[in-house]
Amino acid sequence: MRTARGLWFSIVFLLLVGLHYTLRPVLGWHASIDFLAIAVLLVAVRARPGVATLVGFAVGLVSDSMMPGAFGAGALAFSIVAYTASSLKAAFFADNVALNAVFVFLGKWVGDLIFLAAEHRLGGSEFLSQALLWSPLAATVTALVGVAVLLLVRPAVGTPRG
Amino acid sequence: MLVACVLLSLAALVLPAPQRSTIAGALRGSIVVPLAALQERAEVSRRAILAYDASVRIADSVRLRASQSDVVDAENERLRRLLGLGAALKWGFVPAEALHGRGLGDDYTMTLTVGRQEGVVPFSPVVAPEGLVGMVETVDASSSVAIVWPHPDFRVSAMSADGTAFGIVYPHLGSGATRFLLELRGVAFRNALRPGTLIVSAGLGGVYPRGIPVGTVLSELRTAEGWARNYLLRPAVRPVDATAVMVVQPQRAREGVAAVWQSAVDSALKMVVSAGDSLARRRADSLATTERQRLDSLQAVRPRADSAAPPVTPPPRRVP
Repeated sequence: MRTARGLWFSIVFLLLVGLHYTLRPVLGWHASIDFLAIAVLLVAVRARPGVATLVGFAVGLVSDSMMPGAFGAGALAFSIVAYTASSLKAAFFADNVALNAVFVFLGKWVGDLIFLAAEHRLGGSEFLSQALLWSPLAATVTALVGVAVLLLVRPAVGTPRG
Repeated sequence: MLVACVLLSLAALVLPAPQRSTIAGALRGSIVVPLAALQERAEVSRRAILAYDASVRIADSVRLRASQSDVVDAENERLRRLLGLGAALKWGFVPAEALHGRGLGDDYTMTLTVGRQEGVVPFSPVVAPEGLVGMVETVDASSSVAIVWPHPDFRVSAMSADGTAFGIVYPHLGSGATRFLLELRGVAFRNALRPGTLIVSAGLGGVYPRGIPVGTVLSELRTAEGWARNYLLRPAVRPVDATAVMVVQPQRAREGVAAVWQSAVDSALKMVVSAGDSLARRRADSLATTERQRLDSLQAVRPRADSAAPPVTPPPRRVP
């Protein structure tokens, strides 16, 4: 039973990573869905903080390899978000859709803020518009999709551990 | 674990650019390869989707221009032929724009942009490069109204292009699509006309001069009368296509215009003759097996040659 759930969980995780590199470029939205953030948060609520941090770091490194100018920023952001999410999951991951949405929203937005601060690429008004407009918009879209994914995969992968 | 990951991340951030590029390149060349390929294909797909809209827009505008070009070409060709008609007529005609209404009954009349001031008088023939369009009915100072051949009152004395058969052309008052055909009535029974025979105005009655193409024979109409033949004609001119026409003035009509359309008549005759020749050749081939059949076919041709005798010409009904 546990193995089957683990297998399903791995498939969902890989599917989300795949969607990040297929559906997201096709959609081409400015405030785009961050499937990697959903995947990392999905792991974070089911794994211990150490494992979640490691997965976040690996996913961040993969993401950073596509943009060498900010190499390390994504790894830093996903590591912190994964660790924090994994530590706070007891508080957030009650069986409440709204709380799950807030969890994903905050995870994505905080991750973006850490990324923007770490990469040092944007400054002034550009940084503010990205941090206060586009990132929250992207976090909102990601939260909506994330909640849908959580609801869809819950029967297959089970509820998060307490 | 968090501390280690954060330290590694910070180390990656502060690495010199060449080293960062090396590590990123190593990742891209190994575990990220499938993801990079997926992203590349996705972006190509997105570009294709975006380019599809643009290409559809371009194709639509090209198609629109092409269709407009066809219309302009047709209009140019018509105007060129009208210029040729004017050059052939030389004098005694008034070029006019034909305005077609879109209301009920407007299929039967057209308004011409010339009137009394330009020398147009009632009962003047209206012609196009292809042949007869109609006749001026009422004339105002600067415009006039002409009836076109679908009009129930339209009549024209007509004959076959070789002058062997005469009759009166009426609009065909059938239903549906055949409403816009013509009838050649009262052709002597001995004058059988083949499909494709060109029918021209006979010049009798004083309205329409001799030699203006009216239509071509489509088929014979079955009638109860046993003493005359009636034929269904395809008109030479479609009124909706006649946007620029010529009004032939009476003195010019009296002088005759037969030579103007003679080339068209000649080419039509040549087509009929060549069609007849090929039919005859086919028939000769098929009947060449026996001498008796060949003689029969010759006998069948003889009465047709005799049919060139002067026909009885019925008078036109409408006389100005």
